[in-house]
Amino acid sequence: MLPLSSPYPATAAARRTLVHHSISLLQSTGPFAATRSLSSSAGAPRPPRPLLSRARLCWTANGSGPAHHRFRAYHSYDHPAPAGPFNEAEEAILAAAYRQVPEHGFSPEALAIGAREAGYLDISTNLLADGPFSLIRWHLVKQREALAARKTVLFPDGATIDNKPVSVSAKVEALTWERLLGNVDIVGRWQEALAMMAQPSCVPASLKELATLADEILFLAGDVAVDSTWYTKRASLSAIYVGADLFMTTDQSPGFQHTHMFLRRRLTEATDVGNAAGSVREWISFTASAGINMLRSKGMRI
Amino acid sequence: MHANISTSPAAARGFLQWAACNKTTGSGSGSGSGSSTYNEGRTQSKKRIPLTVAQREFLSSALRVNQAGELAATLIYTAQTPPVVSREPHLRPLMRHMYEQEAAHFSTFNALIAKHRVRPTALYPVWSLLASGLGWTTGVMGREAAMACTEAVETEIGDHYNAQIRRLLEMVTEWETQGYDVGGEFKDLVVTLRRIRDEELEHLDHAVEHDAKKAEPYWLLTGVIRAGCRGAIWVSERV
Repeated sequence: MLPLSSPYPATAAARRTLVHHSISLLQSTGPFAATRSLSSSAGAPRPPRPLLSRARLCWTANGSGPAHHRFRAYHSYDHPAPAGPFNEAEEAILAAAYRQVPEHGFSPEALAIGAREAGYLDISTNLLADGPFSLIRWHLVKQREALAARKTVLFPDGATIDNKPVSVSAKVEALTWERLLGNVDIVGRWQEALAMMAQPSCVPASLKELATLADEILFLAGDVAVDSTWYTKRASLSAIYVGADLFMTTDQSPGFQHTHMFLRRRLTEATDVGNAAGSVREWISFTASAGINMLRSKGMRI
Repeated sequence: MHANISTSPAAARGFLQWAACNKTTGSGSGSGSGSSTYNEGRTQSKKRIPLTVAQREFLSSALRVNQAGELAATLIYTAQTPPVVSREPHLRPLMRHMYEQEAAHFSTFNALIAKHRVRPTALYPVWSLLASGLGWTTGVMGREAAMACTEAVETEIGDHYNAQIRRLLEMVTEWETQGYDVGGEFKDLVVTLRRIRDEELEHLDHAVEHDAKKAEPYWLLTGVIRAGCRGAIWVSERV
C-alpha cells in the first residue's frame, strides 16, 4: 500500500477533516473509520454526497488484499462475474481523475481534482488506500478490460489473412499491440508510473496485473494449451510486454512504429525459441522410444 | 444415466422458483419508482448469483486435479500396455478400451480447463514422469501387478470424484433452496463427473476380474500406490 503523501485539501475545513480522518484511521482500522470522520465534516465547502455508506466498502475492495479478485480462479459463463476491483465511489473519482493524468500525471493532484469533479470532497481521495497507485491500477484494469471488446473488432468471426483463419500468434501480436496503443494518451506520464509500479510495496500488485494481462491476451487470442507451455507462454509474453512498454516510453517515431517493430521482433524470437524447444523434446522422445523398441525387438521384456 | 433422472426435477423446481420470484419483483418495480434500481439489481441477482470465492477456488482446484489425474491415467496405461500385452496378447482390447476412455476424459478436462480459464497444475512434467514410471514398473512386474495398480488408482479416483460430485450437488441444492437459478454449466459438470466416475469404477471391476488381488505383495503394492495417489491429489489441488 502506498501512503497517500499529500491530497492537497483546498480549504481549512477540509484540512481539519483530513486530520480527523487520519486520527480515526489510526484509532480504528475498521471500515467505519471513514464514515465517522467524514460525517463530521459539517463546515465543508461543498455538501458531500451520501456516498460513504457504500464507499466504506473500499477497505475491503481495495488493493491486493481482497479475496474476491483471486488470481485466475474458475471463470463462469452462466453465473454473473464477481464484483470488480473498484466500487461505485472509486469508479467515479478515478474516472474523473484519469482525465487529469495527461496534465497532472498519476499524482495526488489528479486524484484531488478528480474527486472534486465527481462531486466528492478532496478528502475522499483518502478512501483510495493505494493513493496515486490506484490511478495506475485503474488505467491497467480498464485498458485490459477494453481488449475483449477490441477483439471482436479486430477479428470478426471468420476473419482471414490470405484465406487462412487468423493464427493464434497473429492474434497475440495484434492484441498486445492494441494494449500498447492504450498507453498512447498518457505515454508522457508512463515512465513515472512505471517507476511507481517498481516500488517494492507496489510490485506484487503490478506483477499480478501483468500476469492477468498476459492471460487475458492469450485467452482472447484463443490459445487453449493447458500443459506446461501454459506457464512458459504467459511468462514470455509478460516479459515481451514489459520490454515493449518500456521501449514505448522513449519512442519518438511517428505512430510508435519502432515500438511495433520491436514487439514483432521479440514475439518472433519467442516463437523461434518455443519451436526449437519443441523440436528438441520431439527428438528426445523419438530417440528414447526407438531405443526401447530396439531393446524389445531383441527380446527384452520391457 | 441415473444422473439425468435425479437432476431434472431439481432443475424444474429451480426454474419455477426463479420464474415466481421474477414475477413478484417485476410487478413491484412498476409501482415504486424510488427504489427501482435496487429492485432491478435484486431481480438480476435473484436469477443467478456470482460464485463465492470458496466456490471458485473449489471449482478451480477440482478441474486442475482432475486434469492432472487423467493425464497420469493416460500415461500409466500408455506405459503399461507394451509390457503387459507382449506377455498376454488377449489383454490388448481391454487395455486399449481403458486407454481410450482415459484419453477421452483427459481431453474433456483439457477443454474445461481452457474454457473456464483455470491454471493447469504447475507440476505437469513431474506427474508425467511419475505416472509413466509407475505404469512401466507395474507393467514389467506382470499382469497382476498392473491390474493391482489400476485397482488402487481407480479406488482412490472413484472416492475423489464422489467427493467432488457431493460438493457440487451441495452447491446446487443450496442455490435452489435459496431460490436462485443454477447455471447449465454446473448441471453439465455433474453429469460429466458422474459419467467419468462410473467409467473409472468400471476399470476397477475389470482390474479385479483380471486377478489384481493375486499380485505379490498385494497389500504393499496397493497401499503404496493409494497413498501416492492421495498425496498427488492433495498437491495438485494446491499447486
